[in-house]
Amino acid sequence: MRKLLAILLIVGVGFASASERNLVMVRSPARAAHVMDVLKETILEYGYQVAHTQRCDGGMAEFHYKSDFYRVVFFGKVKEVREVLKRHPEMSPYLPLKIAVVAEKDATVLAAVDPRALAPMFPDDAELHVLLARWYNDIDAMLEELRELKKAP
Amino acid sequence: MKYLSILLLSLLSLPLMAAPDGKALYERNCSVCHHFKGEGGIGLPLTAEILSQVSDDYIAKTIRVGRPGRIMPSFNALSDAQVQAIVRYIRSWSGKPGPVFKTTRLQGDSARGKPLFEKHCVRCHGKDGSGEGPGTGVTLSRERSFMVMPAALNNPGFQQSASDAMIHDIVLSGRKVGGMPSFKSKLTDQEVADVVAYVRTLKPPALHQGMEEWRGKPAYIMESPYDFETTVENVKQALTGANFRIFPPRYLEQGLTDEFSVNTRQISIRFCNFKELYHLLNIDPRLGTVLPCRINVIERDGKVLVISANVAQLATLFNNQELSEVGVLMEEIILSVMEEATL
Ligand code: HEC
Ligand code: HEC
Repeated sequence: MRKLLAILLIVGVGFASASERNLVMVRSPARAAHVMDVLKETILEYGYQVAHTQRCDGGMAEFHYKSDFYRVVFFGKVKEVREVLKRHPEMSPYLPLKIAVVAEKDATVLAAVDPRALAPMFPDDAELHVLLARWYNDIDAMLEELRELKKAP
Repeated sequence: MKYLSILLLSLLSLPLMAAPDGKALYERNCSVCHHFKGEGGIGLPLTAEILSQVSDDYIAKTIRVGRPGRIMPSFNALSDAQVQAIVRYIRSWSGKPGPVFKTTRLQGDSARGKPLFEKHCVRCHGKDGSGEGPGTGVTLSRERSFMVMPAALNNPGFQQSASDAMIHDIVLSGRKVGGMPSFKSKLTDQEVADVVAYVRTLKPPALHQGMEEWRGKPAYIMESPYDFETTVENVKQALTGANFRIFPPRYLEQGLTDEFSVNTRQISIRFCNFKELYHLLNIDPRLGTVLPCRINVIERDGKVLVISANVAQLATLFNNQELSEVGVLMEEIILSVMEEATL
């Protein structure tokens, strides 16, 4: 029995279970370019800085691969980033935070990793868990606002 | 005062009494993959034809269990009433009720079903029922041989949700939009039952895991014996050697603060392999949430650290087994780059 428990514990380490929702995602009826603009404004409204925007479609077109509008927006608060990295340099691949913006015909899909999915890998840092949950709440609220945008006439 | 509190109480309890809003629930939970009216996207289309072949029970169970390893998550947090509201909303698109199937098992013989499945179904559904080619849902900008990718018949989520009678019925009817022929004139009732029995034996491919040493860790992290600048150059060289294209490096804090206070001893070396990326985006267009790939070089307390996300773990977040497999392959490549740079 104890052995079984140990095995379960080992298997359980890592991200939250795979079939749970670990990504925050919405579909907005508005066009991608407009969604991008509003997203950047929304990020500022929530008190974050937009660090930069990565164009993924451009790079691929250069290599003769066709793709739709595909951007990744990086954002964060320098104070939070510094505090987290001081304790956990292994959080650096996940910072700044990011949201992907992908066109699907006239609509737009937005997706981000749910920061809470990282929590199980930092079992001893309750403070970090609170921060991850706050990041999730902000990302979720921002994406909800974009989901409620109107379809372009 | 008393009346006021009663009034307040009754106002507060209003949302509890009102039936859950199926449209709002669908748009919040499902539309990102299935589109606003079931047109499909990363998720399968829920067209009138498909919906006319599946029962309410199948839809409800699919919402509950999801499709482990095939992108659709399980929605455990939804109440039964909420699930029913979503089903009703989906049904409202056509206004027609769904079919009801017997839940009893059909008397089929999987041994006799196997050769029939191989003859009639494998060319589209694959030997193990995973489906043909990578990806799911409708094709959008992606190149595919089908308009609609078939769902994985070997998926535990499908197996738990679909009754024998429903699968039997789909095989007899076929699916016009998706390109599945009707087997009415080719197979007898008993033969279809045999095929169904064989479908029940199909298992999803075994899942590979990342290296044990790094399992459960958010990142790969190695200490470099070189100074900061040399380590950055080493990482770039190792990446180029591994056929990656490198973007201009960025400070980790760049853009978050002004250029005077930015920490210049934390650099992100961003890289990409467009050919591979294009292939991966076909498997799962949501991949951008973890792109671009990058290796960070960080100096702190006199140590130089080389750090990358644990891509094998990260890939599992997508609940997409194909992507998880790629994560395991990428792990090997990234670790060898990091090792080369810190050798
Ligand atoms: C993250 C994307 C995603 C989300 C969110 C999602 N689905 Fe799915 N869904 C899929 C995929 C992908 C499949 C096909 C799985 C496969 O290929 O095996 C699927 C399959 C289905 C099917 C089976 C279709 C068929 O042809 O048999 C139904 C029904 C369904 N989803 C309903 C829903 C409902 C209702 C919701 C919201 C509560 C939802 N899905 C949320 C991606 C998603
Ligand atoms: C010509 C290709 C083709 C052949 C042959 C074919 N299928 Fe299909 N099948 C598809 C496609 C494409 C879909 C998805 C279409 C859609 O959902 O609109 C599908 C859907 C299904 C579904 C429904 C899954 C779901 O999404 O709910 C079942 C069950 C199924 N097929 C079983 C079979 C069996 C069993 C056979 C052999 C007797 C067979 N198919 C032969 C292409 C094919």
